[in-house]
Order: sequence, then C-alpha cells, then structure tokens
Amino acid sequence: MKIVVAVKQVPERDAVVRVAADGRGVDESDVAWTMNEPDAYALEEALQLKERAGEGEVVVLCAGPERVQSTLREALAKGADRAVHVVTPEAGEGSLGERDSLDVARLLAEAVRAEAADLVLTGLQSDDLGAGQTGVVMAELLGVPHATLVLHVELLDGGDGRRIKVKRELEDGWMQHVEMALPALLTIQSGGNRLRYATLMGIKRARQKEMREVQAAAAGKRVDEVVKVSPPTRVKRTEMLTGSADEVAAKLVERLRFEVKVL
Amino acid sequence: MIAGAVGMLRVGIELAEPLSFSVTERLLLMALIAASLGVFAWRSWPIASNILHSKKDADFSLRPVGRRAWKFFWEVLCQSKVIRQRPLPGLAHAFVFWGFLAFALVTLNHLAVGFGHGFLQYSGSFGPFYVGFAGIWAVLVAVSISGLFVRRFVVRPKWLGKRVSVESGVIAGLIFVLMVSYLAALFVGDKGFAARGLWWVHTLSLLVFLPLIPRTKHLHLLLSPLTVFLKRPQFSQIPKLEGDEDFGLFAGRDVTQIIALQAYSCVECGRCAEHCPATTTGKVLNPKKIVLEMRSYLNTAGPGSEEPLLDRPGSAMSMEAAFECTTCGACEFQCPVGVQHLSILIGLRRGAVNTGAWEDRYGTKLFLALEKQGNALGMSSIERDKFIAKQEFPIFDGSQEYCLWLGCMGSYDPKGREIVSDFARVMQALGVQFGVLKKEKCTGDPARRLGNDLLFGDLAAQGLKTFAAAKVTKIVTICPHCVRTIATDWLEYGVAPEIEHHSDFMARHAHLLPKQDGGSIVYHDPCYLGRYRDVYDEPRAVVAAAGELVEAERHHERSFCCGAGGGQAFLGEESGERVSHVRAKELIATGAQTIGTACPFCNSMFRDALGAVGGENPPQLLDIAQLVARGLAPRALSSDAEEKSG
Ligand code: SF4
Ligand code: SF4
Repeated sequence: MKIVVAVKQVPERDAVVRVAADGRGVDESDVAWTMNEPDAYALEEALQLKERAGEGEVVVLCAGPERVQSTLREALAKGADRAVHVVTPEAGEGSLGERDSLDVARLLAEAVRAEAADLVLTGLQSDDLGAGQTGVVMAELLGVPHATLVLHVELLDGGDGRRIKVKRELEDGWMQHVEMALPALLTIQSGGNRLRYATLMGIKRARQKEMREVQAAAAGKRVDEVVKVSPPTRVKRTEMLTGSADEVAAKLVERLRFEVKVL
Repeated sequence: MIAGAVGMLRVGIELAEPLSFSVTERLLLMALIAASLGVFAWRSWPIASNILHSKKDADFSLRPVGRRAWKFFWEVLCQSKVIRQRPLPGLAHAFVFWGFLAFALVTLNHLAVGFGHGFLQYSGSFGPFYVGFAGIWAVLVAVSISGLFVRRFVVRPKWLGKRVSVESGVIAGLIFVLMVSYLAALFVGDKGFAARGLWWVHTLSLLVFLPLIPRTKHLHLLLSPLTVFLKRPQFSQIPKLEGDEDFGLFAGRDVTQIIALQAYSCVECGRCAEHCPATTTGKVLNPKKIVLEMRSYLNTAGPGSEEPLLDRPGSAMSMEAAFECTTCGACEFQCPVGVQHLSILIGLRRGAVNTGAWEDRYGTKLFLALEKQGNALGMSSIERDKFIAKQEFPIFDGSQEYCLWLGCMGSYDPKGREIVSDFARVMQALGVQFGVLKKEKCTGDPARRLGNDLLFGDLAAQGLKTFAAAKVTKIVTICPHCVRTIATDWLEYGVAPEIEHHSDFMARHAHLLPKQDGGSIVYHDPCYLGRYRDVYDEPRAVVAAAGELVEAERHHERSFCCGAGGGQAFLGEESGERVSHVRAKELIATGAQTIGTACPFCNSMFRDALGAVGGENPPQLLDIAQLVARGLAPRALSSDAEEKSG
C-alpha cells in the first residue's frame, strides 16, 4: 500500500507575523516555520496505517521554496520513507505567493500522479490561509473519490481488499462512517491520533532517505487575487453585569456558556 | 593504639609459627595455593572479560587526576562516606577494611613462613611492633565483623533485601577465624603442635576466602577501589553520544566499561534504595535492582548483545521503572562503591526515547510542547510577553550587569511568577542592574533528563545563540534546574555565560538583606542545588536573615526529593504514595511556621501537597526570595502577591 501525504509549511503559531511591504502578503524574513498541524495528523494517520498493514510506503510531498525541506525532513524523521519536493521560486513569479489554491493543487496532483498512490492524505486545511481547498481540488484533478474531515481510517478485508472505512467528524459530536474504494483522497482533521515526537534516531535515519526534487510547472493564471492583508483589529469590550448576586451569577454563566463558550 | 602496641612490645611479643615444614607439607601448601588461585582466576575471568569486552567509554579521561586521587583517599582509604552516612555499621566496616590493610604484611609473612622465608624478625623492634599492631587490628576486626554479622542476620535491616545471603555468613565466619587464629598464635608459647595447627587454620581460611570473592558481593573488595577512582568526575554525568549509531543505553552493545565495572562493584548494601524517593513510596523503580539487573544482563546476554536492556522477561530494569526516576541523585550520592545510577537510568531513557520506543501520553505531550511552544508548560510565548510587560521588567540590552533568566516556571507558572517578581524586587532594592530576555525558550532540562537528545540539543543550541546575540555575560535565575542545565549540560554544545542561582546571589549580599524576625522557617534543600551543586550554606544564610532556621529530619545531602525532577512534574499520576506528600509531611512535622524553598518546582509540588496533607493550618510556603522580599518596604512596583492582598 502506497500512501502519499501532502503537507504544507506554515508560520509557527507564536510567530510574529507582519504584513509585507506590498500589503498583499506577510513578511517572511524572520518567520519561524513549522508543519501545518492537520498535515501532521495526516502524516501520523499514514504512518499508523502502514504500521497496521505491516507493509507499504509513505511518501511525503510538499511544494515550496528551499525552506520547506526542513518540514520534509521532519516528516522523514517521524517515519516517512521518501520525500518529494516540488520546488517553487523563493519569491516573484511562480512563487507560492503568486499561486492560488487551484494552482498549488495542480502542482501536487501532478506529483501524486507520478507516484500512482493507493491513498492520498492531507490536512483538511492550512493553519495560515485556511482555504480548505487544496485536498478536494486535488481529488477532482486526480479523478478519485474523496472524504473530508476524516479522523480515522480503517483498512477493510485485512488491508488487501482495496477498500477502506473512514470516520468523519460532523457537527456537534456526530460521526459518520463511510466505506470507500481505493484509490482515494482523504483530508484529515486534527486530533484523531496522538502525534509522535521526533527522535534522534529518526533524524539520523532521515539523512539517508531519498528527497527528490522536481521543478514546479509555471504558474497558471490566478482565478482570484489577494487585494489586501491586514492584522485583525482587537476590540476590548467591558460590560458590567448588574443585579443581585444570584442574577449576576446567572447572567455570567449564560455569557460564559453561550458567548465565550467555555462552560 | 600505638602506645598500647609499644607497651606490648616491651613485654616482647612473638607470633607462634611452626619452625619448619616437611616436604609433603610444602607440596600440599603449593597445591592448595595453586588450587585457590586457579579457582579464583576461573571464577573472576568471566567478569573481567565482560568488563573488558564492554564498549569503551569514548569520553573517558584520567583527568583530573588530583581530584580522583583525593576521592580515592577520602572515600576509599578514609571510608568517609561509609562512616558518615551510616555511622555505626560504617565504622565497623572501616575497621574491617583498615584491618585488612594492616594485615597485608602479616599475610605475606605468614605464607612466606610456609616456605621457610618468614621475614618478620622478632629479635629486632619492627617485627614485634608490627605483630602487636596487627594484633590490635585483629581484635577490632573480630569485634566489628561479629557486629556486622549480628546486624545482617539478626537485626536484618530491610534494605539488605529479603534473601538471607549464606555466603556473607560464611565469609564473615572466615574473617572471624582468620583473626582469632592470628590472635591465638600471639598467646601460644611454644612452636610445636599448637602453632602448626593455628598456622594451617589461618592458611586454609585464607585459601578458601580468596576464591569466594569473585562471585559474591565481596568482589567489591577488589573492584570498588578501582570503581571509585575511575568513576565519571561529575555528578549525574551524561556522556556525549558518539557517532551515528549511539542512542544511549538501548542494548548490551551500548553498555560501557565504566558501567560494567560499576555493576560488578555493587555490594548490595541497599543504601541507594533506602534513600530513593521512588522505591520508598512504593513505585516499581529500585536503583539497587537496576544495578544488579545490569550485572545479570551482562552475565547472561553478554556485553555485545543486541537484546534490548529494558523489559526483559521478569527484569526489574523495566521501562516503567526507568521513567519513574526523579533524578534526585540520592542513590548516586549515597553509593559507597561509586556506582553512578544516573548515567545508567538516564542512559536507559535515552535509549528508549531517542529510538522512539518510549510511548507515553504525557511524555509525548511534553516533547511536542517543547518542540512547538519552546516551553514545558505548553503555553504561548505571548503569555510571557504579557507578564513581562505587566511587571515592567526591563529588557536586557547589554547595559545591565545581569540577565535575569525567568525559566519556564518563572515565565508561565503563577507561583513561579510571584517568585521571580519578588526576586526582581530584591535586586532592585539592592540597586543591581538587570534585564530579562525578550524571548526565552526552555533550557531543555526535562528533555535532557527524559533522554530526548534531539530536543535537548536543539534547545541548548538555540539558548546559546540567544545569549550570544544578546551579549549576556552574567545570568541569575531562581531555578536550580536551569542553572545545572545551562552551566553543565549545555557544555556539549558550547560554553554559556556564567550563571548563578539566586541563593548564591542573595547570600553574597546577605549583609545588605533586611534582618527580619520572621518566625521559624524550615528550609528544604532542592536536589539540583544541594546534591548536584553542593550549595547548602548559601540559602541557609538567606533564610537565617529572614527568621529562625529549622532543619527537617532529612536535610543537606540527605534531603528528600519533592518528586518533580527528571521530567516527573510533567508526567502523569505517580503510582504508590506521592513523593511530595511524604516530604511535605516531614516538613510540616518540624512545626515550623514557614516552609522555605529555593526551586520553583519544589514550590509548586509543595503547594499541591499542602493542599492535600497540610491540614487545617498548613505552614506558609515561600521561596527564599520571597522570604527576603517580605522584609522590603512595599513598593509601587506590584507583584502578583500584593495584587492579591490588595
Ligand atoms: S535518582 Fe532518585 S529517584 Fe532516581 S533512582 Fe536515584 S534515588 Fe531513586
Ligand atoms: S548500587 Fe551502591 S548503594 Fe546501591 S546497593 Fe549497590 S553498592 Fe549499595
């Protein structure tokens, strides 16, 4: 069983994000990068599937400039067998910033096609742009069935029946179980598994693993355009609750439950 | 003693020895000596071979020879540790040891007599003197060994283990016979039958004793002097990993010669287990069993084996045990023969974590938090920014003397923040210029102790870079774990600026600290300050300025762990009794009004423990910085503590 996991490199959660000079992106000069979290879960699911099946290959795939190799290495260190890096220019024409979701999906789908994978996994969305498009568009381009918001994948018929059963997360704690045929593409929701930590042995082994670079095709014409990027404006609101102690408590509970949603 | 010997000398003492030996007797003697030596060699060889065939210690160096020689003199020749930590049996042991040394010459002479070459002349003055001198030792040894015999077989302290060791009894008996036969020879007048009989009894005891040494714990007679001399120079030293296939102690092939030597040196005295916070609170871990299990692994699987060290069937060296250790170092400190448990235990953890074999929900969460957020509490660094801004801590810009390192606890833990804030007030009151770093990541202490070399290495390298970029030359911190990690563990990656614990800092300024009458304060020694760095007096000087210093039942190097170290603060619920509860009860039992701590981890453990076992009126819990700050005039600069009361 061959599984391709498409991952994205995104700024770290705590990164100080500044708007770039042109106002249409973020200034990348001192951003620290990391693997997109849902993609990390997609990788984990792939590794566990391989472990459960007892055989197979996990190939990680990422499009981007030189820097994304650190994320690919991380995936290799955690146990992926091979990496494919679709190389795009750092900036300017053909860079990630100049491409829309459709275009990135095309790049990735092209690389997946060459691999003839049984299963393609990717995070359901990215932590930075959050379009949630890439996975499903790839499925369309590859002409394979897909399922979104997947928490868990089960191999049916001992793994050789070429069928899987997936658990999807619906709203409000509801789950849906769907059987599908392979090949297929799944977009993975965070939290379905426990992630593994990176190990020294993993990193050392990763150095010997293959990292194939393929040049990205020229960018197609964008179907959308980023006009302006701006940081969220924070509004602080103070509201005094009045009434007797009991009334105040009741109001507070209501706010906490329905507005702040912490209860 | 010497006066006594001289007294006896005047009487003219002489050892009864047979005048001559027949050819048959000599042949018999030679055959017996050969047999004894042969059995001795045959039984020792597998052990020597296992040690020699273990992996070389790549980082080994005889330097510092002076320190090694001093340790040898003090711990082996003077028996200082043995006596100090267990005075009565320790002294008895020391007498037996010194007696053996005194007997070396006598024994040599004794065997030489058998070949007609006895060299102690009773006509001169040295011979009688020495024989008398050895006689005094013989009395001391005989009395001591009887005492130790009673202790082992009648009193039977539980740390010696449930199994009654028959061979110990036999050996004690042999030693006793050796001494008595020697003493008797002092009082036998003639050189006839009695003298011959005693000579043979003494000789046979000796020749039976020798081959018993290798496969019993009496092997320490031969190995422990070597072990003490050769042990790694640092406390809780964690050797550098060498090459691409070294992940710590994973299988037999990773066991180094020093570890093997230490494993074979263990005398099974149980001191390590007696002081271990894990063993004594009912957990699986028992440091003595770890050492003995290492020995039995070498005996069965062998030094080059590929079989994993952990979790062999029925083995006490289990994954569970290895990850219960708080790295408090009580075992390593106590061990009289120089076994260094921490390099073994942390080595085993490295072998498990560096290869990904250790799967633990909390451990993984901790590692991921350190990987992603760069702090052990898994908080966003923005929370630290807010805290610094609120406390109006100056940012370090190179102009201040000190960089105040907050650490994870000082940055994110509510109580840790109070401590840091109060320490900042103390520094300000002393007029010392300091600043904090804009961004800090964990020193990597929990990763280091849990054996995650990848993560620790990353954090150490980043930390070094941060200090260099900020041009820091002096660091001060409230956390002994940060001090140890930055000053010692980071050395593998580079040299960090000089770092000091706030107890050292405040003790240096003790004369300027406010004198207070703050009631009775019991001081708890943190493992990483006391046993790890030998800092005992400085925090006490600070406490003494703030109130009346009280000692708990166990203090200084015998202090009992709070349960937080070695990553335990971040792992799940402990099995057995909580270590922190045991210690908190001990501190409460002193009746002191306040518990003084010098480590934010101890503080947080006791905070929880006092809630559970503190009763109606628990003592107040304050860091030594807070004790000092109590005596400062309240300032406009707010600390969290003031805010609460205000
Ligand atoms: S370091 Fe402390 S907890 Fe660990 S084995 Fe030794 S005594 Fe026990
Ligand atoms: S390791 Fe040391 S302290 Fe522990 S039982 Fe052996 S000799 Fe005693």
